[in-house]
Amino acid sequence: MIAAAQDTGGEAAAGKWYDAAKATYTTLVDVQHTISSAYQFVNVPMGVWIDERGRVVRPAEPAWTMNSTLKVGDKSITTEGKAYVAALRDWVANGEKSQFAMSDDEFAKAVKPRSAAEMEAEASFKLAVFFHEKGKDELAAKYWHHAEELNPDDWNYHRQEWSFTPDEAGKKWLDKFQKLDHPYYPKLELPKPPEAK
Amino acid sequence: MLRRDFLLASGTVALSAAAPTPTPSGTVLYGDRTIALDKVRVEGDELWVRSPDLPRINEFEVKPQGACRADVCIPLSKSLKQGDWFHLTGFARQIHQSYVADAGVWSFGEIPVVRGEFLNSRMAPDFAVPDRQGKVVHLSDFRGKKALIVTWASW
Repeated sequence: MIAAAQDTGGEAAAGKWYDAAKATYTTLVDVQHTISSAYQFVNVPMGVWIDERGRVVRPAEPAWTMNSTLKVGDKSITTEGKAYVAALRDWVANGEKSQFAMSDDEFAKAVKPRSAAEMEAEASFKLAVFFHEKGKDELAAKYWHHAEELNPDDWNYHRQEWSFTPDEAGKKWLDKFQKLDHPYYPKLELPKPPEAK
Repeated sequence: MLRRDFLLASGTVALSAAAPTPTPSGTVLYGDRTIALDKVRVEGDELWVRSPDLPRINEFEVKPQGACRADVCIPLSKSLKQGDWFHLTGFARQIHQSYVADAGVWSFGEIPVVRGEFLNSRMAPDFAVPDRQGKVVHLSDFRGKKALIVTWASW
């Protein structure tokens, strides 16, 4: 298991959480959100399964470990962790014979090419991270905002930028969340879970 | 807003019809890489790099048949090469790669043909990301094992 903190704040931001979790797995500090870029993650937590040959078994999807429903105003956030963990265990035990290992057709349907705007947003976000690390806050802000405008559905971009103004972050999140016309997390699309067989 | 419009509106990159201007240095961002180049040429918002620097920027290499990376070779127009110099932003346009630039830093997005290889082969993109101790971890370090990559954040 590889855990990757999508934290431009680096070890100072992520370290205490790894300590609290008593992590025994690989713990990365991904300042540039490199892994989210590579695998098209647009929120946290999200996960990808990769087999022994380096092939993607399941592409980006929410990677919760528990079921929950959080009501926020007239909207809610639902997580489907139990099914996800059961599916993961099934794949670990059964490999490519697992019903949760996607076929090539399923994979092709699940992964879409990026739009030009999404690709430019990625470039802009990385430029913002670079300027942030150099202490050039005005330039960083300019490119955070450019990335957010180009790819407004990527919550990682918004929430990372908002983290630098923590007093305002909650209100900004709530304002955007309340205007959503689609689920906060991509839907977890799994075949029938093992316990339901 | 289109990339070029954005650059023009930003006012931070002056366009010029003049010949490429030698610039002491520049920085290129691509994937997980930050590449400091000690010799670049700048022409408005256009960036020229030395051809030998290309592999460490994006793993392409200039060959007689074009710019090549693994099994992919992209024929190059003559305008993309001037002696030892390679027109990196012109190449980006040719391969539909997005970029933004400001203050001597050029940040490039994903290369669509590389993404296309992922979509066809399902081979997971490798990465180089440091762990808590600063040791760089590559996905390829886990070859031969099943891997679950999970992201999270403190924010």
